[in-house]
Amino acid sequence: MEKLKINFKLNGKQIRVECEPAKTLLDLIRDDLGLKGVKRGCEIGECGACTVIMNGEIVNSCMVLAPQVEGSDITTIEGLTSDESLHPIQTAFMEKGAVQCGFCIPGMILSAKVLLDNKPSPSGSEIRTAIAGNLCRCTGYKQIVDAIKYAAQLMKNE
Amino acid sequence: MLPEFNLKRPLTLNEALSEYAAGSYKIIAGGTDMIVEMRKEKSIDFDILDISGIPKLKSIKKEGGKIIIGALSTFSDVFKNEIVQKEVPLLKEAVRNAGSLQIRNRGTIGGNICNASPAADSVPPLVALDAEVNLVSTKGQRTVKLDEFITRPYATNIKEGEILKSITFSPPVCTGYHFYKLGRREALAISRMNVAVMLNIKGGVIEDAVISPGSVMPFVGRVTEAEELLEGNKPSKELFEKAGLKVSGIMIKESGIRWSTEYKKPVIKEMVSRALNFAAGTEK
Ligand SMILES: Cc1cc2nc3c(=O)[nH]c(=O)nc-3n(C[C@H](O)[C@H](O)[C@H](O)COP(=O)(O)OP(=O)(O)OC[C@H]3O[C@@H](n4cnc5c(N)ncnc54)[C@H](O)[C@@H]3O)c2cc1C
Ligand code: FES
Ligand code: FES
Repeated sequence: MEKLKINFKLNGKQIRVECEPAKTLLDLIRDDLGLKGVKRGCEIGECGACTVIMNGEIVNSCMVLAPQVEGSDITTIEGLTSDESLHPIQTAFMEKGAVQCGFCIPGMILSAKVLLDNKPSPSGSEIRTAIAGNLCRCTGYKQIVDAIKYAAQLMKNE
Repeated sequence: MLPEFNLKRPLTLNEALSEYAAGSYKIIAGGTDMIVEMRKEKSIDFDILDISGIPKLKSIKKEGGKIIIGALSTFSDVFKNEIVQKEVPLLKEAVRNAGSLQIRNRGTIGGNICNASPAADSVPPLVALDAEVNLVSTKGQRTVKLDEFITRPYATNIKEGEILKSITFSPPVCTGYHFYKLGRREALAISRMNVAVMLNIKGGVIEDAVISPGSVMPFVGRVTEAEELLEGNKPSKELFEKAGLKVSGIMIKESGIRWSTEYKKPVIKEMVSRALNFAAGTEK
């Protein structure tokens, strides 16, 4: 199959790759580019483990063909902070005990980030809507919702 | 990885149309139906024409009194659009719970219509609005009513080489509306059953009624017999129950008795009458 050249921004860096069109954005960033924070779950849009931010909106990277990201701006969990420090949402998740096995967490945090970027003080129901596409099989969501509320406070105090 | 294919990504509609006419392609827009389908296959015998990079197909505007929604508008684009919010809140409510936010950010209205799933959330409200679809190919353009475009579950009368460009309708005149969706799980289950209704009540009397059920019916379209039962009458719970019964009766007549009929019958009656009560303000 004919490879295609793709240009896009990944975690703030402009990159250029060559890739088979049958690869999804998930295949490209996790397998080819080695960013393992993007998790491979159901691959049919149901679990949200593969969530990334594309042009300011959350998407399931398993449902985007790699060539479709041409010219886009993609953020993964690895791009949340520029140095070794944690993002306030990450701190909040740790402090509130919102992480168990951790598989859902990168996607969950990226969904929370887009929510908080657009709505600095979300209600509980707004939080639940924002993470409704991120399945967690461990926590029962309560700690996650609490952590996102707490993250909102931390981000305001920053 | 998905089964192998070649991909073309035209950036203008004209380029897309000539490419589409020349090759053996399937179109991909948001991919939220296509990727699921392709994952089921070991190999596929078509190439992919990715139309998601054509900016012209992604607008929502009002022209000559009509609202025009570009085929590439996502559920999220529709939900956030000011014209939609102000003039067609029914459509806004219908797309509010389509899939998850991740799905709504990718899934397009054009894809929702062309996939023609009986559970498609944008279809009942758009049928209620008497929407038309605008199709283009290298041979020209045509406009078809949406309820004629979708011929049966998962089938449309789209012709070879045609791309759905936009959907057009007039803003409705109504005093109340409701979209009722019954899903298995709130956010992610593709709706099992849905119905869109609109009522125009003047001086305490229902002047116009629109009932447009989605997956509950074996066809796409309004249920005029039930609408007529409402028109000219005062809104009441009893009347809306009768309308609900009418719709479920027609469902049984049209689909015949199947395993799901018994379950569906009372549910449809209840969904329709509740939606009407919400639209009329007789239930909150
Ligand atoms: C987890 C999950 C949950 C979902 N939940 C819902 C839900 O609650 N409600 C709901 O309605 N849907 C739901 N869907 C289905 C899907 O998201 C929608 O049908 C969506 O609108 C499809 O749009 P798309 O752009 O992604 O289509 P694509 O997958 O890109 O295309 C779908 C079909 O339409 C054709 N097509 C697309 N655009 C055009 C065009 N402009 N011209 C001609 N042909 C075209 C394609 O060739 C293909 O056959 C869900 C899907 C998933 C994976
Ligand atoms: S892996 Fe993408 S949604 Fe589950
Ligand atoms: S912490 Fe295990 S899936 Fe969420």
